[in-house]
Order: sequence, then structure tokens, then C-alpha cells
Amino acid sequence: MSKMVRLAFAFVACLGLVVAAQAQDRKIKIGVVYDLTGPFAGGGSELQYTGAKIMIDYFIKQGGVEGYQIEPIYADAQSKPDVAINEAVRLVEQEKVDMLMGFYSSAQCVPAAAKVETLKKFMWLTTCISSAVLDNRHLHYVFRPQVSGNLYGVAATDMIAEYAKSKLGKEPKDLRVAIVHEDGAYGVDVAKGDEAGSKKHGFNVVLKEGYSITAPDLSALVTKLKRARPDVIFHTGYNPDITLLLRQAREQGLKVQAIVGQGAGYSVYDKLKEGLGDDSNHLFTIDPISIWLTNPKSLDPALPPVIKMVGDAFDKAKPGASRSAHVGMSASNAYLFFTRVLPVAIKKYGGIDGEALRKAALDVDLPEGGTMLGFGVKFAAETDQLAGQNMRAFPVVTQYVDGKAVVVWPKSQQQAEPVLPLPAGTTYSNK
Amino acid sequence: MEAFLEIFDIYLLEAVINGILLGGVLALLALGLNLIFGVIDVTWICYAELIMIGMYGMYYLFSVYHMPYWVAAPLCILLVAALGALLHFLVIEPLLSAPPINQLLATGGVLFFLQSFATVVFGIDFRNVGIKLPILAVGEMHFSYARLLAFVAALIGMVAVYVFMKKTYVGTAIRAIAQDRQIMVLMGVDTKRIYLITSAIGGALAGLAACLLVLMYDVHPFIGLSIGPVTFLICVLGGLGNFVGGFVASFLFAEIISLGGLFSDLEWGYVLAFGFFILMMFIRPAGLLARRS
Repeated sequence: MSKMVRLAFAFVACLGLVVAAQAQDRKIKIGVVYDLTGPFAGGGSELQYTGAKIMIDYFIKQGGVEGYQIEPIYADAQSKPDVAINEAVRLVEQEKVDMLMGFYSSAQCVPAAAKVETLKKFMWLTTCISSAVLDNRHLHYVFRPQVSGNLYGVAATDMIAEYAKSKLGKEPKDLRVAIVHEDGAYGVDVAKGDEAGSKKHGFNVVLKEGYSITAPDLSALVTKLKRARPDVIFHTGYNPDITLLLRQAREQGLKVQAIVGQGAGYSVYDKLKEGLGDDSNHLFTIDPISIWLTNPKSLDPALPPVIKMVGDAFDKAKPGASRSAHVGMSASNAYLFFTRVLPVAIKKYGGIDGEALRKAALDVDLPEGGTMLGFGVKFAAETDQLAGQNMRAFPVVTQYVDGKAVVVWPKSQQQAEPVLPLPAGTTYSNK
Repeated sequence: MEAFLEIFDIYLLEAVINGILLGGVLALLALGLNLIFGVIDVTWICYAELIMIGMYGMYYLFSVYHMPYWVAAPLCILLVAALGALLHFLVIEPLLSAPPINQLLATGGVLFFLQSFATVVFGIDFRNVGIKLPILAVGEMHFSYARLLAFVAALIGMVAVYVFMKKTYVGTAIRAIAQDRQIMVLMGVDTKRIYLITSAIGGALAGLAACLLVLMYDVHPFIGLSIGPVTFLICVLGGLGNFVGGFVASFLFAEIISLGGLFSDLEWGYVLAFGFFILMMFIRPAGLLARRS
């Protein structure tokens, strides 16, 4: 072999090593923020973290995305908005993450989104739902595949209006409803939706009231509810305030036709059951559908095996725990990012900076059935009022019936009709 | 006039009685803290966290080890009493002669330690013993037996502490030390022993509160956030170390929360209660029942 040929081989080998080294260097650092301590942790945030982690680990095992390794850096927001903001800033400025993912509480999302926007980093909100996060803020780098909070109240009131006459025996205009909510960004936003929906259907709103989730006593609220005599209560809370309210409602003899819970603590059935026992039967919750309750035939064929993988990984991580909707929510939204946003940003827009990720997110156009949560994806453009919001996301109403979660609304997703009113003889039934 | 009379209905009476029952719960919470401050002159910022540990103790003894409630409760009281004595021995005693701010910071550190300890050891899940006590129904009014029990326990606890302090030798020594801690040493009283006993009694009262609170609330590492601040406000409102003042302040505070919440938004009940507290700090800074000097 001539000297020239040997030199050429050596050059090619060196080039190969350099390229390989570059490929290994290419990685996306993701700051993942959830509440791992404090009241929100047990109220659903830790389950959301588990779902996101399952999906991140899955893509790490796959070797990354489009030649980029994935390096997550997890942070605990401690159920405090100030800590969430500080952690977001720390992750961006000190850990030099390329983007942020997660965020459970709307009270954290509202200020954190504004802060991250000023840092020009891409932010992928898997969970928090308050409209206030995006409404009229025209944020550039903040995207939320999750359902917007105002739709929760729409779903709750639409369902009650549909069955008012046939099951509750009253015309919607004669129906007395109470709207009770925790007084953070999440509860206030959902309550606004309840109020707007009640107005639309002509319900008689007999009480609308907020409370602090750390209030040690809610007996005055229960007394007011008794005095107002609502047929239906729309309640938005975390936990343990939900168990405190419902326990005091039982002790004070509150009787109604239905209690419609709306996400957060109501979607953690294990805890509801532990705190309330049989009284948790026939309660409702509203959230994106649990990925394990979607009709596999209505989904993109690539998704059912992923749903199975998430379920298996969750069972392994938390043996004996029931598969909460919270887990699937963050897993689905993380999967959406790794399969539909990140690859496009890398291939089409040449990288993983905020601008590339933003453009890739705006390109996503999935029809209904395109995500594990059943809905499609199309983000509102920057000029829209809800810029960054997935306009194709919708929630479903689920009812706990004899230990099983059953989707009861909307009719397109319905597995069974809702049990309305509360069966006679049950704790909260006025029959 | 008719509208004015409309508010005097059965629900108003229910709110008044529920306020009294809530007052019982708050009085129970304040009892031990007042005892500690009155004698040792140290504020246990971590008092609510001792109650939290006691609630976990009840949960494990009752729900995991399946002990009957009436067996688990005394064990839990003893556990928290021991914890109170340990807290004094390890943290307070070395700081007895330190400035008050150092003592506050030290017990504040114990607060975070206990919260983190509970998070690591017990996890972040909410725990519930699942005991449903019957409900007392009087006409359209319904009351919680758990709160009635707390109310009765607060009354008994108050009387028991009073009798102990007045009628026993140790109680007399405790009162004497509370009046002048320097002179009692010269008279041969073992102040270390008295402090340790007082801390154990304070811990036991926290344990008693834990046994009853576990019937009303879920247990989680951060339950102190709900009950801690209110407990301190009541103790300060009644005059730190003043049992009767704390007792009266508990019921006043609870009634303002209950009736304020009934006539306005629930949150206004708390705003009014805290507003009342601030006002009283101007009018009677040493507490509601403090003697004018």
C-alpha cells in the first residue's frame, strides 16, 4: 500500500472519529419541573412527573432523537410558585438547559411562563390548564398541548344540561347549581368556565365561592351550601381540600343530586377512595381522557403499543397503584414533543434553539386520534388570543362507578350514560 | 327588617355551634404550645410538625398494624411525649441561654427537618385512617362527632393541666420556674428535670391533638402549613403562655372564621379573623387576658 493510500485511510478514520464525537456531543438538555414535595405532589403532580419520566427514559433508551441525546434535569417546585420560578431560572441560567417541560400547578405556570418567555427558552406545558397562562399574552415560546381550563366548565355544564330533564327531573332553567373552587389560578379559571356554561344553559347559580386549599375548616362553606340548596355542585380543588370539604359535607348532612369534580385531586381515584371510602362512588372528574380508556381503534395505530409500554412501566414503578389519568396526560404530551416537535426542529429548522422548536411546534397538525389522549393537535398562532394553546384538545367527563372509571361525556367518547342523580340512600343523595 | 330577621335561621345556629367546635380543635392545638412557652420561655415553631408525626404514628398503628384506636392513641401520645422530651434535650437545652432569635431559628430548623424527614420516610401520599364516626343530627343541624370529641378533649386537657399545675408538687415547681427561673435553682429545684417534664407534657398534648386530628384530616408531611400558623396566632392573641387567654382566643377566632364565612365569602372569615388579630395586637399587645401593668 502506497504511503498516500495509508495517509488517506488515516484521514478518513480521524474524520470518522471527529464526526462520532460530534454526534455524541449533540444533546438536548431538558429542565423538567414538577412538584415532588408539598401538597400538590400527592394531589397529582408526582404522578405527572412519573408519566413524563417514563417517556423521557423511553426515548433515552431509544438512543435519543435524530442523533440528539436526551439529558433531563429534574427539579422540584415544592408546590410553591416562587420556587417554580426560581427553579426555572436556575435551570436556564445555571444548568443551561435548552428548554423546559412539565409544570403541574396553574398558580406556578402563570408567572413561570412569563419569566421563561423573557429568557427566550422553549417551554412545553404538559399539565397546568388555566386559561390565564396564555390568554391574551401572545407568548412566543410557550406551548401547551394540554386542554385549556375554560373547557372544563363547558364540559361539566353541557353534560348536566343534557341530562337535566331526563335524569334530574328539572328544566335547565330550574336547576340550582353551586360553583365551589380553590382560589388559585386553576380553580378560578375552571369556575369561570362553570359560570359561563351555567349562563349559557340558564342554570340558577345559587352560590359561587372560593376557598384557600390550606384552610383548616370548611364548615361555614358547607352550611352556606345547605342554605343555598343546590341540585348540583361543580367543585374544583386539589387534595386534601377535596376530602376535607366532602368529609365535612357528610358530617353536616349536605344533600344534593350530583357532585361534579373537575380534575386535579378528583382525578387521583386511589386517594379519593382512601379519604372518602364508599362516598367516592358516583363522583365525577373532568380531565383529558385516561390513555387507558381511549378506544384503540380511534387512535393512530402507532399509539396503542406506546400506551401499553407506559402502563407496564407505571405498574413496575408503582406496583399496586391504579393507573391515574395524570400519568397518561404527561406521558402523552411528552411523547408528542419527542415525536412531532423535536425531530422537525432538528431536521427542518436546523437545531434545538427556542426559535427552531417554536416553528416546529407551530407545524404540528394532527387530526383527532393523533395523540394518546384522543384529541388532535394544532397550536394557536402568535396573533391569536390563546397563542400557544392546542386548539384541538378537549376534556372528557369521567364518573367513578363501583370502583371503575367510566367516560360519560362527551357522547362521542361515552362508554356509558352517567349515573344521575346520586342513587337514593347514598351519603350525599337528597333522594 | 324582614331581611334582617331572615339571617336568624337554623343555619346561623349551626354556624355558631360549628364555630364552637372548631374553637375546641384550636384550643387543643394551642394548649401544649402555651405550656411550653409559659414555662421554658421558648416557642416551638415546629409544634405543628410534632402533631404531624403523631398523626403518622396513629396512621401506622391503626391502619398498618391494625391496633384498636384506644390502644393506638395512648401509644401515640407517649411517642410524641418522648419526641417532645428529645427535642428539648437535643435542641432547646443547649440554647436556653442563647438569644430568643437563635431559639426560634433552631426550632424553625427542626420544622424543616421534620417535614423533610416525613417526606422521605412516609412519602408524599395523603394518608387517611378511614374512620367514619357517626353524625349527631339535631333537626336540620348536623355536627361532627370527631369535633365534639376534640372539644371535650380540649376541655378535659385544660382542666387536667390546670389541676396538675395547681395541685401537684411538680406543677407547683413548674409554675415557680415560670415566674423566676434563676431563683428556683438557688432553692434547690432541678430545673433541667422540670424542663424535661414540661417538654414531655407539651409533647403529650401534641400527641393528644394528633389522635383527634387524624379523625378529621388527611395526614401528609405538610399538614403543619394548615394548622401551624393559626395555632401560633391564637397563642399570641391569648398571650403566649396564658392558658385561659389561649382558650378564649381559640373560640373568638373560630367564631369570627365561622360567622364571617357564613355572612360573607369564606375567605373573608379568615381575613376578618386575622384583621381582628392585628387590631388586638395594637390594643392588647400582651394578649387578650394579659393584666395591665
